Amino acid sequence: MEFFGKIVAAGLMNGAVYGLVAIGFVLIYKSSSVLNFSQGYMLLLGGYIFWSFRGGLRLDLFLSLLLTLPCAFLMGILIERITLRPLIGQPLLSMITVTIFLSLVLEGVASLFWGTYPLEQITIFPKGALKLGKTVLTTESLFAFGLAIVVMMVLIFFFRYTRLGLSMRGVAEGHEIMQSMGISVKRILTICWGIAGVAATLGGILLGGTLGFQLGLSHIGLLAIPAAFIGGLESPEGAVLGGLLIGLIESIVSGYVGKAAGVPASYIVLIVVMLFRPYGFFGLERIERV
Amino acid sequence: MLKLNNVEVKYVGVILVLRGVSLEVRDGAIVALLGSNGAGKTTTLKAISGLLHTELGEVTAGSIEYDGSRIDGMDPEQIAKRGIIQVMEGRQVLGHLNVEENLLLGGYIVKNSDIKKDLDMVYDYFPKLKSLRHSTSGYLSGGEQQMLVMGRAMMAHPKIMLLDEPSLGLAPLIVDEIFDIVTRFNAEEKTSVLIVEQNARAALSITEYSYVMENGRVVLDGPSSKLADNEDIKEFYLGLSKLGEKKSYRQVKHYKRRKRWL
Repeated sequence: MEFFGKIVAAGLMNGAVYGLVAIGFVLIYKSSSVLNFSQGYMLLLGGYIFWSFRGGLRLDLFLSLLLTLPCAFLMGILIERITLRPLIGQPLLSMITVTIFLSLVLEGVASLFWGTYPLEQITIFPKGALKLGKTVLTTESLFAFGLAIVVMMVLIFFFRYTRLGLSMRGVAEGHEIMQSMGISVKRILTICWGIAGVAATLGGILLGGTLGFQLGLSHIGLLAIPAAFIGGLESPEGAVLGGLLIGLIESIVSGYVGKAAGVPASYIVLIVVMLFRPYGFFGLERIERV
Repeated sequence: MLKLNNVEVKYVGVILVLRGVSLEVRDGAIVALLGSNGAGKTTTLKAISGLLHTELGEVTAGSIEYDGSRIDGMDPEQIAKRGIIQVMEGRQVLGHLNVEENLLLGGYIVKNSDIKKDLDMVYDYFPKLKSLRHSTSGYLSGGEQQMLVMGRAMMAHPKIMLLDEPSLGLAPLIVDEIFDIVTRFNAEEKTSVLIVEQNARAALSITEYSYVMENGRVVLDGPSSKLADNEDIKEFYLGLSKLGEKKSYRQVKHYKRRKRWL
């Protein structure tokens, strides 16, 4: 029982981060129908940028965050500008292919500037332990969990209740309609990519804080993709739940079956969910009127 | 005033769709653009609103002027900000958003607007939308969706509304209702309306001036009341025979009356 509690706690912590990264993935899919497979590598690069401020330059934690987030936003925007803007109007497939190979480029950039070895471990959150019955939780992971949840709430609130959020949901429905109302689709897409960059980077920081900053982060970040699919590609709320679910499955399976089985298990769950609910749990069904 | 001078439009650089269209929409007027399928009516509207760019179309000759400055070649967003709003054909609602969210997005470009007042204005024109305001717009009926897209355009307080086939696929009663609202909106908000229609009878009855297009050209224009009396219009667009009676297809002659404008 003690072991189970520990596993569930760890799963939820990681799951929250997957959910956060998945929101960025969902956002880009919703607004432009592009599946951004480079999301995991945006996470890596964002995490490394943070490391440079915090671990490399040894700046204060909040100052590093304050400097990293605009960089992350800019990273998202640059990726959109350089690689995807020129492809507007081209078949979606070519855009998606670009994101796949873009991930290799991003990984290359990361290893070029920071090397291929794991970076020096840095503490982000105060170390400590909290006893919950027989389960011991580290404050580190509690902080990570809390921060991920708060950021997700803020993002969901943003989509639902703000003007800009509403226009992002509008862009998801049809670009030409939005243009006919005088709303600049390009501008909205740019902001979406910026936000996706920030979400990925925050995920990178949180994961890096607990697992260490290393190239392998990107593979863990890729788990955001099944999370988004399971939750339903159009739904930020679904992404959160999908993230938690994937986190739990990964953690439970790797705890009981063996460490190597965790990640494949999440993909197996993805396949099973897709078979029975092709739109995911909260995805939008295609509206068909008879 | 909106003015098109000899506008020529090509799609993908080779397909000539408009071959020199000239027309004028006075401030505060309702003008109809009639014509059969493929005549270039929608292309004309898209050339004005700039939405042509999204379809690889281009104004290759002539000019489109609004209030004295040229707007051809501008982005659709800029043109919309100048007060020219197109209501696209086929009831293009933002399907997964609810009615009120659709309307709010319509008012997105109006700076410092009183959103509540604007919503009330739209609900005043379309009382039905008020009761539906939290419904998902994709599931509304055709007539309701047409009302929604028109209400959405009203939210932007347009100076010119470009209406593309508002009657398409709707029951005659709803068509009448929608045309009444267009006239009312025009009178109360001083918005000019350029309306593209296949339903010539309805369009001629509410407009003051009409243009007839065929094969990418304007072939006939004049005050709507005069056009409604024109023999050719009667024959080809209103389906009336010489005596002004409904045409009986039993007695239809197997040669076509020659259109005199060709």
